[in-house]
Amino acid sequence: MNTDDLIAQLSADVPRVRRHTVGWRLGLGLAGGLIVSLTIVVAVMGVRPDLSVAMHGFSFWMKWGYTISLSIAAVVVTAQLARPDSARLRWLWLLAIPVALLAGLGALELLRTPQGEWLAMWLGESWMVCPWRVLTLAAPIFVGLLWSFRRLAPTRLRAAGAAAGLAAGAFAATVYCIHCPEVSAIFVLTWYSLGILLAASAGALLGPRLLRW
Amino acid sequence: MRANEDELRGLMIDGLDGNAGAHTVLLRLLVPLLRSYYRRHANGSADDIEDLVQETLIAVHTRRATYDRDRPFTSWLFAIARYKMIDHFRRVRRLQPIEGMEELLVAEAFEGASIARIDVDELLGTLPVKQARMIRATRIDGLSVAEAAAADGLGESDVKVSVHRGLKSLMARIQGGGQ
Repeated sequence: MNTDDLIAQLSADVPRVRRHTVGWRLGLGLAGGLIVSLTIVVAVMGVRPDLSVAMHGFSFWMKWGYTISLSIAAVVVTAQLARPDSARLRWLWLLAIPVALLAGLGALELLRTPQGEWLAMWLGESWMVCPWRVLTLAAPIFVGLLWSFRRLAPTRLRAAGAAAGLAAGAFAATVYCIHCPEVSAIFVLTWYSLGILLAASAGALLGPRLLRW
Repeated sequence: MRANEDELRGLMIDGLDGNAGAHTVLLRLLVPLLRSYYRRHANGSADDIEDLVQETLIAVHTRRATYDRDRPFTSWLFAIARYKMIDHFRRVRRLQPIEGMEELLVAEAFEGASIARIDVDELLGTLPVKQARMIRATRIDGLSVAEAAAADGLGESDVKVSVHRGLKSLMARIQGGGQ
């Protein structure tokens, strides 16, 4: 086709674009995925029976504090990578804050606990399944983000995939807190983070294939 | 006449606010900019360049929501242009005959895959080190040009040129030796 004709054709459809369209689009994809993951937790894994009691306790909010702040930081990075001119990423260091804080709490926790109980505290009841469940719950959220990306313009596909995977993993961990009764900081720091990292790695692997446009 | 950043950015923002006229003017102004960009960077045929220009115009149009009004327009534009160039050549390269040649070298087992492998190693050994390394990285290890460039700390065009020259001299050698 002739380039002038192409321009004429493209110019026939110029809708107004609101300022925060990228954010909205990502939010919509995330919300859709979250609904699916939440449904899986409620219907398949089950809500922890003592949730209303736990919500008054420290460890529940420590976990949510960690996963939610990680989710926000990951979305901030994802939103940058959703635009073409993403050569320089800002606020990447935000990701380190929740990890550092939780590691600090974990160290305090270890100091207060007799050494003989460290292993039990670290492994909890569910260390073998926790990362995989987080990864499973991340899948629908990742799919939601893939939907968001279909209208966006990532140019660093591997990085964008990794960031989307990280965000999906962190949100999945947030949802998983409703089910998971574990209380220790080092448990969360290890096994939750492992699940989140698995999701990010899957995203990095899939990104170049699935995010092309 | 060359359009400048402020002018283009103003037109883009008007377009985003729903002004179709501004959007049309913008796309028209982008054509010469993109043509010269691709002539400088893409080193392809005139058809390739026009394809790239059109693909980029379509991308600018369909992905306009990803432009952040507070940031420079041209860096957004050229980020897209660069992405489209890499993507275009990744797709087109598959169709070029030279690719078939090296498929033959790598995959087809005249005396078993291992011997073919040794052949490849031998052939690559006859090339300058950089060319051999870049061919190995992009064609055998399956890295993208960008990845290979990053791994070796080279420019992408440097990698492309090395691979291209290397494959060309390999072709010449194989054809010359086979006759």
